[in-house]
Amino acid sequence: LQRGPMLTPNDFVDDELKVMIRDALFSPNQLETFRPNEATPTITGRFNATADCVGGTMTHWSAWSWRFRPDDFRVLSAEGAVAGASLADWPFPYDEIEPFYEKAEWDFGVSGSGYANPFGAPRKKDYPNPPHPERVSSRRFARGAEKLGYHPFPLPVAINSRAYGGRPQCMYGGACYGFGCPVHAKATSLSVCIPKAQATGKLDLRFNVVAREITVGKDGRARSVRYLDAAGKEHEVSAKQIVVSGNSIGSSHLLLMSKSGSFPQGLANSSGLVGKNLTFHIVPAVGFTIDEPALGFTGINGHVAVDDLHPSDAKRGFIRGGVIGEPNAGTATPMFYWALAGAGAPMARSFGAPLKKFLKNFPRAILLAGVLEDLPMESNRVDLDPTVQDRFGLPVPRITHGQHPNDLAMHRWYQQKLLEIAEAAGATEKWISKVPGFTLIDESTPMNGGHVGHFMGTCRMGADAKSSVLDKWCRTHDVPNLWVVDGSCFPTSGGYNPTLTILANAYRVANHFVAEAKRQNL
Amino acid sequence: MTISRRDFLLQSALYGGTLFVTFNVPRPHALAAAAASTKPVVLTPNQWKLVEAIAARIIPSDDEPGATEAGVVNFVDKALANEDKALLPVYKAGLAGVDAVAQKRFRSAFVALTPTEQDDVLLALESGKADGWPKSAIGAADFFAAVRAHTIFGFLCDPSYGGNRDYVGWKVVGYPGRQHHRGGYTKDQMLGKEPIVPVWKS
Repeated sequence: LQRGPMLTPNDFVDDELKVMIRDALFSPNQLETFRPNEATPTITGRFNATADCVGGTMTHWSAWSWRFRPDDFRVLSAEGAVAGASLADWPFPYDEIEPFYEKAEWDFGVSGSGYANPFGAPRKKDYPNPPHPERVSSRRFARGAEKLGYHPFPLPVAINSRAYGGRPQCMYGGACYGFGCPVHAKATSLSVCIPKAQATGKLDLRFNVVAREITVGKDGRARSVRYLDAAGKEHEVSAKQIVVSGNSIGSSHLLLMSKSGSFPQGLANSSGLVGKNLTFHIVPAVGFTIDEPALGFTGINGHVAVDDLHPSDAKRGFIRGGVIGEPNAGTATPMFYWALAGAGAPMARSFGAPLKKFLKNFPRAILLAGVLEDLPMESNRVDLDPTVQDRFGLPVPRITHGQHPNDLAMHRWYQQKLLEIAEAAGATEKWISKVPGFTLIDESTPMNGGHVGHFMGTCRMGADAKSSVLDKWCRTHDVPNLWVVDGSCFPTSGGYNPTLTILANAYRVANHFVAEAKRQNL
Repeated sequence: MTISRRDFLLQSALYGGTLFVTFNVPRPHALAAAAASTKPVVLTPNQWKLVEAIAARIIPSDDEPGATEAGVVNFVDKALANEDKALLPVYKAGLAGVDAVAQKRFRSAFVALTPTEQDDVLLALESGKADGWPKSAIGAADFFAAVRAHTIFGFLCDPSYGGNRDYVGWKVVGYPGRQHHRGGYTKDQMLGKEPIVPVWKS
């Protein structure tokens, strides 16, 4: 069941007004409420960069494909408890997911240089495809980073650097982050998984339908899903096993809407933790211009990364860290350059000659951004909005999300590091980019949701049914035939884009699921 | 789904009001409307001239074209008739506000002011401290931010939306146009070693 349509490559136009500014292609019906804390009234709108279509949010992802580092799976053990944060270890170590990272990299055709990042997770096999060619901006970023003693390396992306997996090579059209790929060179659920599932002849894919409730039988097992079609008419489909993969917001929202006599506070929620410990990452960003065309409107969303600052070091005034890259999200198209890279640039928020000058800097602009680990907090959560309803009268997800002091310290520190790299790369002008929702506006105005599209937590996994929602196989502790397989299970967020870990974990769970099914244990 | 005035106000006040949340009423009909007419659809002739005059100060014409040459006002008119329909009442009240502030400061309609006087009015709006701004309208700064965003969109949108006439916006900023369905860029083009042919030349 998928709430959005089945899009095809023909729908994946690079019309930035439609796709990026108005977001009219990927989630036109999304509605959410947001508040930074319980004391602040909510605002209503669309805050999260989801793609409601067959294939989900991967359809417009930037395809940065990382393995979490081994210590990311044991943050509580590595750091000790932190006041105000709900740190936890993952219920399995890196070694257990390693083979599935490899499978995900090979199934999705990751391009890169497997051993080039001295700070990356250990691996047994290189990526299946070589690194992508660079653009001017990537080279300038790499040169600046090298001057500072860092170790830039080709950013691993699940985009074909050569024909692979029945999909063509990337054509480097530039409009990548936030856009669909018109040739399926970008590996997504839509381009990689759905065709395989369809080829089995066993896939019954129902799209443009909204799941509204998972029902439970008297035996305590999940029985069916009730869903609404486009006209609002209710249907029901029953299943022996039910897998929820609606991302952290969608999955927890569905469980919370599924109230019954045995689950008065939402399905599989005996712990009271469904919806809690939502993480989004911290994304500091710096824009700058150089004295030659940077050509940020060509290529993929990031050719080069730097990971030297990733390892946790409490001496910096915060724990944890993250990776730095050169996304062209803010330089691929001119309106989004103004909106995203330009937020925080005084010239961009002026008018007249200074604004025009800013717009004319478009080809010379470079954006640097970090993807940093935010600490989980139980108070950061998804629940059902008590007053705002969607077009079907269902309660919309209400997101309550503020930042831990560690997040703010990390954000501030990385902003300075990004400015240093910009300077070393020969910046003629530079500024801290402050896009609402994409990064912190300032320290008194928390991020208004996850515009960056990294959704983690809300159904964390763990061994103990009192302190987690899912077991280590992403099966709910409460309901034996109900599974949540997406980023919802993440106990902590890691300092890397989460999708490859979501994929690897899904393969790990699927492997177990199939084995259990063969043993007649399901 | 529509955006209520309350939401617009709140989002504007909190987030600068210029992005995603403000301009996301998804009804993609402007293409047809923009193609059908370059004459006012929802703006009155006077409102049309006023939007054109404000846009001309936001992205001025100098030795290169600006908002006027790009037909920004046509984009705004078509957007307000379609995707941004919910903003139309806000816009009409805001435009009346601009003239009220111009009257208060210079005893003249905005369009009749000199460019320097017009900039003075816009600076007052931008700062939110504009004497004469009607209490019933949305905040002056929020309205200015909305018009600025619309002006930039009208300058840089695909020409099929009724702005960026003859690609002047893309020419001014140095964007060669949409390449997705034109085969993208070569390795050498990404490194500046091979010229890039813009969409209007091929």
